[in-house]
Amino acid sequence: MRKIWFVMMLCSMVALCFVDPEGSINSMMTAGGNAVSLSIKLIGVYAIWLGIIKLVELTGLNHKIANLLSPVIDWLFGKTDKQTKNYIALNMSANMLGMGNACTPMGIKAMQGLDRQNNSKTASTAMIMLIVINATSIQLLPTTIIGLRATYGSTSSSDIIIPTLIATAVSTILGVVLVKLCAKIKDKLGKNHDC
Amino acid sequence: MTVSALITPILIILLLIYCAKKRVNAYQGFINGAKEAVPLSLSIFPFLVAIFLVVELFKVSGLTTYLSNILAPIFNCIGIPSELCELVLIRPFSGSGGLAVMETIFDTYGADSYIARAGSVIMGSSETVFYVATVYFAQAKAERLLYAVPVALVACLASAIVACQIVKIM
Repeated sequence: MRKIWFVMMLCSMVALCFVDPEGSINSMMTAGGNAVSLSIKLIGVYAIWLGIIKLVELTGLNHKIANLLSPVIDWLFGKTDKQTKNYIALNMSANMLGMGNACTPMGIKAMQGLDRQNNSKTASTAMIMLIVINATSIQLLPTTIIGLRATYGSTSSSDIIIPTLIATAVSTILGVVLVKLCAKIKDKLGKNHDC
Repeated sequence: MTVSALITPILIILLLIYCAKKRVNAYQGFINGAKEAVPLSLSIFPFLVAIFLVVELFKVSGLTTYLSNILAPIFNCIGIPSELCELVLIRPFSGSGGLAVMETIFDTYGADSYIARAGSVIMGSSETVFYVATVYFAQAKAERLLYAVPVALVACLASAIVACQIVKIM
């Protein structure tokens, strides 16, 4: 991440020197302003979802969801403590239902839990798995895009549901397999280093 | 459309009924949960600024267009039409950016065209990889993400390829 950021930042700045040197400050400030307005919007969004999640926790519903998803979570993330498992379960169910903004607070909490167990500067396999699963999206109904298509006068705006399901399944399965594979390779390399 | 719009309200109704059954103080619980929103949002903020900054500069400097022109032939080889090149490039960085490209595509080609449908599937089946990767680590000690971002990007590219093929037959 830090390498990508550094390279992109440097390339953009160099390119801006040729294209539009005066505009660089302006666009930097625009970006800052956009980040502030998104953060303020997110305070509202997170407040609502965190409030609702609290109710799920207080009623003990999160344990039930976690138990239901337990085999999947155990296979994907290995051993985790009960609380982290609950957050992962909530994160995954919100993800599937397409409640994009609801997954983030739960994902962050789950990540904190995994981080506490990992206790290192380098991300653990479980942490990488959580990122990849969230980044490849497992949503079952692409509501935003269906709505947008309808607005633009599509006659059958929901005919993309099944193709989307297939495409998203491919990306998630591929992501999971790649993470498992990379983790194996890393283990092997680690052992070789020990020798 | 109508069915999917009902998911969230119905889930919340069920949750409220369950709260009543379990004798949980829903109001107090909600307040306690909502309290955490401001610190959470504050801790995400620096990461948001960093990613917004780099995305904006990349766009303004014209590198996005430049890069999509370079990559168009490669994307064509793996079955992604050049019209969708920009979308595939922007999608991992910014959700709103992706939606903006999507709207231009709907405008130019019509919402029922092959390009628009393939684009919709790409939008629906992927996520803003960089946003997820930065924001989720906002409160974590770990800094080195190892192969997380490359793996996610490869998986998203694969789903884009699948999307373009599948829309042809379905």
